[in-house]
Amino acid sequence: MQPSPLANPLATVQQLQTSASQLDGIPADLEDSIRFAGARLTQAVGILLRLPQEIIAQAIIVFMRFLVGPEGGSLARHGAEDVSMGAMYLATKLSAWPKSARSVINVYAYLNTFAPTFIDAEELGKKQNAEDYYVSEGTFQIRRGKLFEMEQVILKTVGFQLQVSLPYSLCITYLQALDIFAHPRASELANRANAHLNTALLSPQLLYLTHQPPTLAAAAIYLAAKEVAIKLPDVEWWEVFDTDREELGFLVVGLLSVESFAVEERSRWEGMRVPMAVDELDEEIKRRAAADGEE
Amino acid sequence: MASRWADTEADRAEADRRKKEKEEKKRAKLAKQQAEQEAAARTQQEAQEAADDRPAKRRRLSPSPEREAPVPEERKLLRFEAGGWGPCRHVSNFETLNHIEEGSYGWVSRAKETATGEVVALKKVKMDYLGDGFPITALREISVLQKARHKNVVDLKEVVMGDGLDEVVLVMEFLEHDLKTLQEDMPEPFLASEVKTLLRQLASAVDFLHENHIMHRDLKTSNILLNNRGALKLADFGMARIIPPPNAPLTQLVVTLWYRAPELLLGTTSYGTEVDMWSIGCIFGELLAKEPILQGKNEVDELSRIFELCGLPNDKTWPEFYRLPNAKSLKLPRDPKNPGSAIRLKFPFLTNAGTELLTTLLSLNPDHRPTAKEMLAHPYFSENPKPKPAEMFPTFPSKAGQEKRRKRSPNAPKRGDAPGMGAGEIDFSSIFSGREEEQKGAGFSLRMG
Repeated sequence: MQPSPLANPLATVQQLQTSASQLDGIPADLEDSIRFAGARLTQAVGILLRLPQEIIAQAIIVFMRFLVGPEGGSLARHGAEDVSMGAMYLATKLSAWPKSARSVINVYAYLNTFAPTFIDAEELGKKQNAEDYYVSEGTFQIRRGKLFEMEQVILKTVGFQLQVSLPYSLCITYLQALDIFAHPRASELANRANAHLNTALLSPQLLYLTHQPPTLAAAAIYLAAKEVAIKLPDVEWWEVFDTDREELGFLVVGLLSVESFAVEERSRWEGMRVPMAVDELDEEIKRRAAADGEE
Repeated sequence: MASRWADTEADRAEADRRKKEKEEKKRAKLAKQQAEQEAAARTQQEAQEAADDRPAKRRRLSPSPEREAPVPEERKLLRFEAGGWGPCRHVSNFETLNHIEEGSYGWVSRAKETATGEVVALKKVKMDYLGDGFPITALREISVLQKARHKNVVDLKEVVMGDGLDEVVLVMEFLEHDLKTLQEDMPEPFLASEVKTLLRQLASAVDFLHENHIMHRDLKTSNILLNNRGALKLADFGMARIIPPPNAPLTQLVVTLWYRAPELLLGTTSYGTEVDMWSIGCIFGELLAKEPILQGKNEVDELSRIFELCGLPNDKTWPEFYRLPNAKSLKLPRDPKNPGSAIRLKFPFLTNAGTELLTTLLSLNPDHRPTAKEMLAHPYFSENPKPKPAEMFPTFPSKAGQEKRRKRSPNAPKRGDAPGMGAGEIDFSSIFSGREEEQKGAGFSLRMG
């Protein structure tokens, strides 16, 4: 059967229950932190590579797919930065905007020089000392070899399932169908809805792995319309977009909760680095064990 | 600022009207339901049970103005399924039966899944570490095949891996024949009705691909598979790609030489699905003639054979011709005696409609070629002889099932091959010298339809 171009493969219940990382002894909250940081890193890299958001979103979703489930990839074996790099390289490769291994490696090296994980967006563009992030030919060769290996590990782990359908253009289509664009503040609504779709990429609830694009788009519109106070039809319009009330409610709550999660993460890792490599993770787990021992 | 959806007098009137309408409909539905109940009580009971499974009460998301809501009707929402994902299985789940062929992209063999006994085709990807990591051709082929599920496109069942990361094998359905090998072994060409069946299946596969923004870019008889039940399936998507956004440059190094459209030979970097339609034209001719119709030895020779068959381009038929990169180095005959198409002469037994279809498929100007959809609607397929039903298709002994042996035919171009027509001027002045001989009588054939 022809798969619907609107649909994504979804994670199974078993895949959502546990992950290879947790089986390797990584606490679930730490896993959430690393996944969140990894998704943010992928987004930042995509922006610096001047990629369209569709490609960035695809990379983030592949990153997430890789890390779920007992048969997925474990953060104890593959650092989040490496996974992000592999996912990003694969996503660009299949797109109309392929990026060379050199560009990808350079951008990751650049972002790696920012010591704390949570920095302001303005800082991203202004890095002072070029020597800090210069990748020498020898280092490049090593990292490229690692990148190509990671690429194949990802392909193997997700069974070559790189197909991603995104809700962005659906969202616009739905707004058109709802006849929103006659409203003077329609673009405000559309922007908010798009922002929610971007937010959902970072959700610790892995919303893109559990819900189909039509449902994500409907929820983003619902929430955005509430925020900008534009009245939508007084009927269950989301059903037209193949979304039932339960799903809509779940997603709206899910989308709203990302903000508090992000604020919490930020204060928790204030001035520190989320462990994005295997050795950093080992240290973090040791540090936690030591802290537990003191108490 | 009042929204479009704010209640107004008109809205209320409209709402009243709608409510009335709904009630009317409900009444009609109820009456219909009763009728159905009498007719098929059992189905009704099942529907009832299904309805009982629904949660009785649903949460309200936000306070909305109380309406006198009609009893909610059962509404079926569409559910989209696209499966899930999991790690690749190991190649040892399959037992190789025999080798079929080796191409530029990898090795193909016939194999059996040990657990189920199902016979499949395995295609092992050739890893060329050119500094880009996993081969983009294999990645594209997999991603295109995952999207392209169609009865005339070969089915990719899964991707399996070996012990190392560098052994990647595509598991596909096995088909007994490819059109090229089959034709080489047949004593007579396909009947007109069989050509139609094949061509129609090919066009519907290509139409499906183009509808889904996929260009195949390597259509040829050796990439077209046929099973013993007359079903044709398109294979080998190593050159295929999603049609990129406008203005993105494409490589003109696509499509095996004998099936390559003139605009590609002339070095265009902005082309579209028309290149596939040209290849279909070449395949159409090949099915009729039982051999490839444009067997050029190199790019220049290929182009000269094309002009020989289809005539020369001129300002009227193909205004963009002179602006193509390689057109400048061509020296075309100044006063050609017979610049028109020789297709009718070459295929004397083809009906008028068939000739018209083949001629338009082999239009030099890509804009003049029909789309796959237009092709499917062509009178050629509805006139006599009608396409032979697939079930009535003759069966043939399968070579792929037993042994390998193949004749040389050029492969799809590889990355890094130098494009272009070679240096210097290329003289086509004498390409029509042999025309007189071709114009001898057409003769007749007893073997029709």
